Formats: sequence, C-alpha cells, structure tokens
Amino acid sequence: MCPAFGAIRNLLRMEDAMPIVISSGDGCMYGHTFVAHFYVANRPIFSPGVSSQMWAKGSVFDELKAMVVEMAEKYKPSLIPICSLCVSDTVGLPFELLPKQIGNTEIVYVPLPAYSVHTHARAKDIVVDSLVWRLPSQRKARSGVNLIGELFPSDPLKIDDVLRRIGTHVNTTVPGPRWEDYVAMVDGAVNAPLHPFYSESVKRMKMKQGLPFVEGAPVGIDGTYSWIKSIGEVLNLNAATVEAVAADERDKVRAAMADYPLNGLTFMVAGYEGHEFMLVRLLIEAGAKVPYLSTAVNTNPLARQEEAWLRERGCTVLYGANFDDEIGALQDHPYDCVIGTTPLCAHAKELGIPSIYYTNAMATRSQMFAEGAADILSLATSTYRSKERYHKIASFFSETGVPRQTATSWQPKIDLTEHLIVNDAFAPNVGA
Amino acid sequence: MGLTQELPSDNVNTPIRKRVTDLDHAGGDTGAMQVFANLRDGNVVLDGPVGCHVMPAVAVINYTDSIPYLQNVTCSELSENEVTIAGTLGVLKEKVARANVEGKQVFIVSTPMSELIGAAWTTIDEGVKGTPLFFNAQSLDDDEWHARDRALLFLWQNRDHFVRPASAGLAPKPAGPSINIIGPTYGCFNSYSDIAEIKRLLAGIGAEINLVYPWDANSYDTTRLTDATATIVMYKEFGSSLAREVGLPTFSAPFGLEDTTTFIRDIAKTLGLEERAEAFISLEKKTTLAAWQDIWRSTHSDFFANSPIAIIAPPSYKDGLEKYLGDELGLPISYSAYRTGPESSPSEVVREALAEASPSPMLVFGSINERMILAQEKLPSRFYQASFPGAVVRRATGTPFVGYAGAVWLLQTVCEVLFDTLFANLPTSYAPPVQATKPTSEILRDAPLATADAGKGQNSVLTWTDGAKALADKTAKRVPFFVRVSVTKKLRSEAEALARARGTDVDESVIEEITAKYAPRR
Repeated sequence: MCPAFGAIRNLLRMEDAMPIVISSGDGCMYGHTFVAHFYVANRPIFSPGVSSQMWAKGSVFDELKAMVVEMAEKYKPSLIPICSLCVSDTVGLPFELLPKQIGNTEIVYVPLPAYSVHTHARAKDIVVDSLVWRLPSQRKARSGVNLIGELFPSDPLKIDDVLRRIGTHVNTTVPGPRWEDYVAMVDGAVNAPLHPFYSESVKRMKMKQGLPFVEGAPVGIDGTYSWIKSIGEVLNLNAATVEAVAADERDKVRAAMADYPLNGLTFMVAGYEGHEFMLVRLLIEAGAKVPYLSTAVNTNPLARQEEAWLRERGCTVLYGANFDDEIGALQDHPYDCVIGTTPLCAHAKELGIPSIYYTNAMATRSQMFAEGAADILSLATSTYRSKERYHKIASFFSETGVPRQTATSWQPKIDLTEHLIVNDAFAPNVGA
Repeated sequence: MGLTQELPSDNVNTPIRKRVTDLDHAGGDTGAMQVFANLRDGNVVLDGPVGCHVMPAVAVINYTDSIPYLQNVTCSELSENEVTIAGTLGVLKEKVARANVEGKQVFIVSTPMSELIGAAWTTIDEGVKGTPLFFNAQSLDDDEWHARDRALLFLWQNRDHFVRPASAGLAPKPAGPSINIIGPTYGCFNSYSDIAEIKRLLAGIGAEINLVYPWDANSYDTTRLTDATATIVMYKEFGSSLAREVGLPTFSAPFGLEDTTTFIRDIAKTLGLEERAEAFISLEKKTTLAAWQDIWRSTHSDFFANSPIAIIAPPSYKDGLEKYLGDELGLPISYSAYRTGPESSPSEVVREALAEASPSPMLVFGSINERMILAQEKLPSRFYQASFPGAVVRRATGTPFVGYAGAVWLLQTVCEVLFDTLFANLPTSYAPPVQATKPTSEILRDAPLATADAGKGQNSVLTWTDGAKALADKTAKRVPFFVRVSVTKKLRSEAEALARARGTDVDESVIEEITAKYAPRR
C-alpha cells in the first residue's frame, strides 16, 4: 500500500469531509481509487488532472482552486482536505493561496509525499496533525481523556466505563467520523495515543495546547493495570479508587487469559500501525515466545515504554522493518504461527506455517481489557492448531517448484532506540 | 460533455483531463511493470517512492491476479534525500545490483516521481548484452494499456540484448506451422480463462504454439517470435505494435460463435490445417457447443430481445460483448462505453448515461466503478464484472469470454442474471397472509351493490386518477421489460394499500411515494 493511503483512508471515512487528492498520475490515482473502493467502499476520490502539460502550464493549481470552491459551495462539507502526493508536493503548489474557509467549510492542506512519509502510520499521524493545527485554542475548563488511535468500535465505550469508575471519562476519539470530533479535542484534559504512532499529533497538542499525554493501552495483564494507573496519576484522581479499579481490571484480564495457554509456542508478528506491540504483549503473557516484533512504525518516543517491556521478555523490535528483514527473521527460528503482512504470510504459508494476515484478522478485533484478550488469544489458538492443514498443503505444492524468495545474509538491525534524540516535548508530564 | 479529447502527445494514449475521479486504468509505470515482470526471467526495479511499488505490485496485483505480491519486483524506495539532493542513481544502483542475478534480465521502470526529477539510468556498461535496461514509462501521461504496447515493442527493439543462458539449451524450433500469442500480461481481466480457451482451440485444430509472449516466455525468447507462421494478439488494448514489427499474419481473439468460427478457419487456412479445423468445429458442435444450442433452443432465449444491457469496459471486451450479446444473441444495448484510451468516457459521463438510460439496462457489465454508480444512484440493474478494477477472483480457467467456451459461459451467465432479476422482483413474501375476518357469506351480505359502482372506490376496488395511471405507466416503462409485470403488480398492490391506509383514491402522490421508495431519482 502507498503510505499516503493511510491518510486518505482516514479522511474518506469522515462523513463531513470531501478530500481532494492531487494524484501523481493515473497509476497513483488508480491504486488509491482501487484501495479506497475496497477498504473504504463507495467513496470516490477526486483529483485535478496532472498530465505533464497541465503541470507545465500551471493549470493544475487553477483547476484545484476551482474544484475547492465548487465543492465547498455545492456540498458544503465541514472539511475539504487537500492531499498533496509525491509529484505535487515536489513541484510545490502555492497552497497558501487557497482560501482557509469558504462558508463553514475548512480547507486544510495535508502534505503526503510518500517518499518522505514512508509509512501508513506516519500518514495517519500527518492527517491528525494537520487537522489539530487548525484547531482553535484550548479552553480553560478541561476534562476527560482524548483517545487517539484506530480503535475497535466498542473500545471507546469500554474505556469510558472504566474511566467513569475512576472519576473521569472519554472526551472524544480521533480519528473520528466528523470534524467536530477533532474540535472537541480542545476540551480534553489528557491525550491517550493508544498505539505508538500518533507522535507528531501528540507533540503538536502538547506544544500548541499544553496537553499532556499517556503512553500505552489497556491491553494485557500489565498493560491494563499500568494504563489505568497512568491516567489516574496524570489527572490527579483518587489514588485508592484508581488502584482498586486497575487491580480489578488486571485480575479480570488474567482470568480471561487463563483459558488460552500458549506455553512452548513460538510466534512471529509483523504489523504496521503499532497495535502489534500490544498483540505481542498478549502472546507473551499467555506464555508464547516471540523473538521478533517487526513493525512498519519507526522508532518514536511513544513506543519506548512498550519496547522496554518487550525487550525484558526476550523480544527484539525491528522498527521500520522491510520485507527482507521479515523473511530473514522468519528463517531464524522454527515458528508455530505467523501473524503478519500479506507477503510475509504468503511466504510462511509456502513453508507450511499457519499464518493470518494482520489487518484482516487482528486489526478488526478489540485487544482491550478481558474480552479483547480472550478474543485475540482464541484466534491465535485456533490458527496455530491448524498447523496440520498448512503442512499438508505446503507439502503438496513443494514439488511444483513454486518460486521462493530466500534470505541471504540477514542480520537483525541495530537497535535504533539507543540513538533516539529525545525531544523535550516528550518529557513525562504529570499533573498538568 | 463531448468526447473530443486532446492527447498530450503522439506517443501516449490518455486524453488530458482537467479533473479525474474513479479511474479504471492505471498509469504507464504499472503497465510496463506488468509486462516485464510477466517474463519468467524478468526482474523489475521501479524507480520511485515505496508507494509506487507497494500499490501496483502488492495491493493491486493481489486483487487483479490474486497473487499475494510480485516476487520479482523491487523498488528504489526514493526518500527525501534522493528527491531533493542526490538523485535516484545511487539508491537505484544498489537495488539493481541486488536484482541483477545470474539468469535474470533486469528492467528499470520509471515512475511519475522519477520522471518529474528527470532521473534516468546511465551506466558505463550500456550496450553490453544482458545488462539492466531502462524503460521510460511516461507515467504522468500514458495509461497502462498503451504502456504495455510500448513495453512489448521495447522488448522487440532490444531483442538482441537478451542473453540465452547455456543452461537453457538450444532454442526450440517449431516442427511445422506454428503460432504466437501476444498478451495477456499481469493485470488483464479474466485473462487466465481467455488464454486457456485460445490454447484449447489451437490444440483442437492441431496448431503448434510457438510462443505465448510474454506470458510463458523469457526475455531471450523474444527473437523466437519470428519462428512462427502467424500471430494472435489477444487484446486490442496492446500488442499490435509488436505484432506489426514481427510481421506475420495477425489475428485477434474472437467473441461469440460466428467470430470464433471465422477465427478458427482463418488460422487453419494460414497454417494449412483446414481439414483438422473442420473436424474440430463439428466435434465442438456436439460437445462444448451442445450446451449453447440447448440453451438457445430453450425459452431462456425468448427474453433476450427484451433484456437490455449496458457494457462499460476496455475496447476488447466492450466491442466483443457488443458483437456477441448484441448482434449475435440480440440483447438490446442501451448503453456502451470505453473507459480507457483516446475515446474513453470519464466516470461522470457514464454515471449520467446509466442514470438516464431508458429502458434501464437489466444487466450492466463493468468494473466496480459502475457497480458503485448503480448503488449510489439506486438503479435497479444487475451487475456483472467485465473489467478491472474490482475485488474479484478470476483465476479458475473456466470463465472465458472468448472462443466457443466463452460463448457458452456468457450465455449461461446472462440467463442466470435473468433468473436472478426475476426472483428479485417476484412478489414473494415471508409475511403471513392477511387474516380472514368473516366467512364468505358475510362478505356477500355486507357488500354494497358493488357492480353498480365498480371502479368508484367501492368495495375492494379503488379508483386510480388519470394522473396516477399515467405516472404508473411511465414508471413501468422505465424498468426492463422482463420484470415489467412483476413491477406493475408490486406497484399496484403497494399503491392501493397506501391509498387505503390514507383513505384516498390512488393519486399521483401515492404513486410518487411508492416509486420514490425504489428509485428516488425518478
């Protein structure tokens, strides 16, 4: 997938936004349209024409401007995001000449050159960041938690239930389906990025609005406990109540996980939006060995706490991993099960290892609290149990000489976290 | 909107459009990649940012060809440094070196980004046989189909560059008259079935296949194209430039009975296989085509003349379906359009045409774009996929559109859709029947002198105003003939139920309310 699609996808899911995508040609447009139809369904993408002649004449910008005005007047959406992809961002259109508002419509520039965005997750961060930049200033009265992340639909409700028991609530959830979900962020008291990639947005909120943030998510035994505790600390809530609720939720997770022991099994996990950190937590707490977590997320401050937890338990995080890294890692251990990207799973299936595609199988489930843990672990359990079937099929096909990419000289990457430049904006910020 | 469209140059195929939405073709880089990667010994390096690799070679290919990802395609993964300062040559060299392994021919394909910054591939070993080749895909201006055509021509022009490895042994020579098939490549809708059917027909008449190119070929096989007696170009969209250069008699893949029969006879004549061909045709009539004849003789075909269809597809399929389903089977074509090439209709033109078509096509052949239009405009037509894009699996070889087997498959498909349409419009219901409140004797006793006032709102007979009747007629005429009876029945029963509930005659407002439920635009 093109990294930029991460952003386009979130924007297309907004009910009151009409994104304009300045594509990099028909191949780019076709690809984005294709995946937009497939993953978002029934939403067209609009682009000004981008032939070499239109660039040369400068008419791309004129057409874009006309489109913006026409769409704002005709459809009156809350938001017209202008997604500028590789070619237009390199050419450099004078986006500052576009109106900022037309009627009630906000026109927001979203820079998405894939050559510097690199990952899906980063593109999503850029969208939230661009929208956050447009927000009015924080109001004086602040309360509740801003959830940031790709969540299962029932997650915010479950989280809200727990938060109310400790004396706070969910203020808003972004990325959300409406512009007002973003606007509501200015009333929140703390940001909770629930998986580690909305770092720019969080930083922006911190710098612009002075809003603190809490890392991690209520996933797994330790994770659930420490997340609830952190929220309590940041918001200065009643310590005894927070401790009681955190311990109670932790015990429920532990009880739910007891039904799915994974002792003695080895898993390989590759994901790309940061949920995979939490997934590995669950697998490890259930007794599995996970030598590597491969993630498309780059090293970032929001992942430090998660990474430290994983490293203590024998899991190396491969940040910004590419396919070769994953294939290499796959051949490093005898695996019982792979949860990963499409190409990695395809490869694992050729080797007869039970595998499921991360997005389709895992990202569509909740991982949070007791229910989430049970749901994820039951899927993992049923997958590794089908080993026999995978093995039979792989044996059947092994004689046909199916081309197989083989790793050559793979080495785990240097742990870049050691070299992280820590931005002051990320210093732990308690009791804002 | 007229269709007079300006092309950016003679060298490319896509008209300049001021605005673009819902495309059904990719760009030049995708098309070229799909040709080169299709060669058995082809290794492709795309010179672009990671999206220009992952989008066509992982995401799209997984839905067009149901291949998880193309293993022989990599990418220079341009980042900010290359775009703004360093240029692409450094990173490209590294990727090309990795791809340039024994027995593989490397093709470097430009992308919009590398074209924009003017990147090309220049090395000191240029001209040395077997070294990596650079192809300028002209991705900002050209579409995938025309780029495929140019890429095939490029292979021909470089035919002496490719090295046949010693391990491959001597090049095979056809024993007698033989034939080339040019196309398909990756990313061609339904091609797995189409190529299987063409091969079946050729086997049937005893024609030897010299080369299926690039589908079953290596780059070093390119020179062997001249060993054949004739060439079949599978699709109109690409391949004819190469066929022209090869210079043999050329045929195109046939749609329908008549076309296929002519195709077989013409090829047989060129190859000197007339006798085998006639024997094959008569055998086909008794086997493959027996199904065709049976369906044709059945009542199934009675509905054809009243079952309008629309076809929106690239040229081969659009023209082929029109010829077969329209001319040969007699289904009225209420609308047809290309979505690619110089004469293509943009999405908004297709949208308007489908919404306004009268009678509404019963069946629309198209891509997911048309499917979306049908859903968004709430049009009653059924949909059948005849083009990419769209998430569909077409890897089984039993669904051809071309040849005799294709004629049978399409005929069967059309009939199935007819039945399906009928079912969807039958006034079936799981609701329990209306309960009897009194015995027949009481119904008779309570009935006023109905006959005297028949049609005047008495008894069970409701009055229809003239306006309502006219509107109902108009509505019925807009639906395909095939389901007109069912729709009229449904309209009548629902309109009368509503009028009864309101205690009024059936007037225009009643009809409007009912029709709005099913087709708000109307």
